[in-house]
Amino acid sequence: MYLKMPFFIIIALTFTLSACSGGSNSENVDSGAESSNGSGTDSQATDYPSGNINFLVGAGPGGGTDNFARSLVEQFEEMYDTNVNVTNLEQASGAVANERTANEEPDGHTLNFASSTYIITVAAGQNNTGLDELTPVARMQSDILSITVDPEQFEDFDEFKEFAENNPGELTVGGTHAASPDEMGLLELNEASGLDLDYVPYDGSGEAQADLLGGNIDALLEYPSAMLDYVESGDMQPILFLAEERLDEFSDVPTTTEYGWDVTNGNERGVLVDADTPDEIIKELEEALHTIYESDEYKEYEESNHLHYREGWMGAEEYRQKLEENKEMYEEFLNNK
Amino acid sequence: MWENLSNGLMTIIEPTHFIILMAAVIIGFLGGALPGLSGVMLVVILLPVTYGMDATSAFMLLTAIYGATVFSGLITAILYRAPGTPEAVTTVFDGYPMTQKGEAGKALGIGISSSAIGGMIGTIFLILLTPTLANFALRFSAPEYFALAILGLTVVASLSRGKLTLGLIGVLFGLFISSIGTDPLTGAHRFSFNSANFSSGIELVPVIIGLFAISEILNRSSKKENMEQKVTKVKTKIFDSNLMKKITGTLARSSLLGSIIGILPGIGASTASMLSYSEAVRWSKTPEKFGTGAPEGIAAPESANNAAAMGALVPLFALGIPGSGTTAVILGAFIMHGLQPGPSLMTTESDLVYAVFAGLLIVNLMILIFSKPFIFLFSKLLNVPYSVIGPLIIIFCIIGTFAIRNSMFDVYVMLFFGLLGYLLEKVGFPLVTIILGVVLGPIAESEFRRALEMSNGDFSIFYARPISAILLTFAGIFIIFAFIKPIMQRHKKRGKLEYQEKIGGKP
Repeated sequence: MYLKMPFFIIIALTFTLSACSGGSNSENVDSGAESSNGSGTDSQATDYPSGNINFLVGAGPGGGTDNFARSLVEQFEEMYDTNVNVTNLEQASGAVANERTANEEPDGHTLNFASSTYIITVAAGQNNTGLDELTPVARMQSDILSITVDPEQFEDFDEFKEFAENNPGELTVGGTHAASPDEMGLLELNEASGLDLDYVPYDGSGEAQADLLGGNIDALLEYPSAMLDYVESGDMQPILFLAEERLDEFSDVPTTTEYGWDVTNGNERGVLVDADTPDEIIKELEEALHTIYESDEYKEYEESNHLHYREGWMGAEEYRQKLEENKEMYEEFLNNK
Repeated sequence: MWENLSNGLMTIIEPTHFIILMAAVIIGFLGGALPGLSGVMLVVILLPVTYGMDATSAFMLLTAIYGATVFSGLITAILYRAPGTPEAVTTVFDGYPMTQKGEAGKALGIGISSSAIGGMIGTIFLILLTPTLANFALRFSAPEYFALAILGLTVVASLSRGKLTLGLIGVLFGLFISSIGTDPLTGAHRFSFNSANFSSGIELVPVIIGLFAISEILNRSSKKENMEQKVTKVKTKIFDSNLMKKITGTLARSSLLGSIIGILPGIGASTASMLSYSEAVRWSKTPEKFGTGAPEGIAAPESANNAAAMGALVPLFALGIPGSGTTAVILGAFIMHGLQPGPSLMTTESDLVYAVFAGLLIVNLMILIFSKPFIFLFSKLLNVPYSVIGPLIIIFCIIGTFAIRNSMFDVYVMLFFGLLGYLLEKVGFPLVTIILGVVLGPIAESEFRRALEMSNGDFSIFYARPISAILLTFAGIFIIFAFIKPIMQRHKKRGKLEYQEKIGGKP
């Protein structure tokens, strides 16, 4: 008898649970079916969202892309009066997150937060989920890369450049991961400037910083947020920004553009969804993201993370073009590597 | 500094802060005791909770949880051979054999006291030497890490317990596993079969849990006599003066080693406990006792991993550079709380930093006080029939493994290694050596290649730098010694035989 009791409870629970979730499930299925038929999309845009929204982050917790996704959660929940679940899928540089986004229902309820690493892995042929399966919604951040050195070793970029020209292949520049925005940035710089700087990949930016501080490497590819405190303490100094214009906070540091090199890619972070998602929903999401991008809360987050130096916003169409251009360029670099 | 520290202590005595610390220790205990739920995950889960707190409370909570999880991983490692955290994997080697001998209470007692002592020594290091040690850590770069990993790998001879061939196979297999996935220096995929799962590599935790926890469940369920569990009385004696005398040397050495390894930014507490266990075996007069329930085999990894956990906070506070996975997440929390981690944190936020330091001292004391009732609860589980507890352990292992990266693939990996571990144990294979390869393989490989990248392919980087030269020389000596030792022993034996023949005695 006592065996039957828990059994009964389990069955009862199962029924209640399935009854609760039944409603939202059937809606999801409906919207999926409708979109594939291409009919009734109008009502969908107004119905959106019909359940919880999932943010799939193609990176581990605590990093830049994760912080980006989490900074949007609160406003998204308020805007749509729903729950947002953030899931980190860091495997294979985010390829698993891309794949899962493409396999979910194309109803705009699964958003993939990705960095430039996405298009690099596609270009490298290591990511099977290309731009035919995912479609960009918006780019919201464009983090700026710099060449950062120990000020006791090099005073400015001219000195660095001269040393590099006289000793090709001697100077080592650390960055995070192989086939990453950092490495692509250095390859681009090498190509445009004719310098021969040697890239040394690290597992995390902390280890690379430790090696620069310890004098084991000559320079770092680094983003402003990660180096500011070391600049204040005098341990590090950026000598070149991969940017169009000088940064307000670093008005004495030159840019690649001044040297006549068109090398301005850093790390771009944006949102992608399944390519089969109806246009109305993509439009809706793009507008929602733009509203957040313009909000004071987001501006505050941008500033405290030092992401405000360069305009981050790009709409769906523009972002797609940028990704396609970058893909072509990275393919070339990776083939010549 | 003393003034800062006493201010820090005053901050902690405030009731809210004290309650937060207690809560953190209890949460950490529970989290660490469940296989798979690690310190990193707990800190990530609780991160949003800390947004509403002031910075001091937030970081006391996070660092205290971090300290407590590293400790409590030992409980399930000793009782069920299922390490609660990756840092406790080495504790399994001698802790579980002791439980099998019916000495679970003794094993737990050694583990707890070693943990607390290691944690204390680590914290004292942290408080006294943070600025100085951080600069020492910067002298460690790729060649030094490589040398350290090689030094660790040479211990395979003593870890294989007389089966050197099997031990070498094990360590090479471990190294092979660690080479699966994305090449750390070129980004190329290795042994990936064009699958995103393989290309992200084999995680350490599924391998550990599979090889030890799952294989043991398979093993026990295939034995009849275990269906009726003997009711064992577990009496935890935290400070046994006779035992303590025996392990004092090991404790001192391991805590020191753990603190130093923890400070190095490239490696964390799991590596520290592995290396410290290796060294304990190496320096022991009775290395053959390791793996069969030697008290030193518990004291070494447990004091080292707690010391290393505290040591890992040194570069975080002094330089803004995380020394391990969990500290990397804590670093992220600094930024979210509007604090800029880096070399100036110690001066601009000294109140906060010293409150955290003082908090850690208290946490290590609390571990000692709380552990007894907590372990009493856990040891009650030993009286539950294994037919009930076994499946429960499997469930926890599966959930925990899945939760690391939200990956079902990791669960399959764990089950595969469970089966493999079961079969290998049947032939008496030293499983420890596989773990040695998996833990040290990635360090050895990527640091070796990174060093050559730094020197533009010049091998002199390994012997021109003093620290790496010394470490590699020692490694060389140990390797030679491992080959000479059996020859010498044979020689000695033969000498004895000849002598006995001469005097006409029977061998």
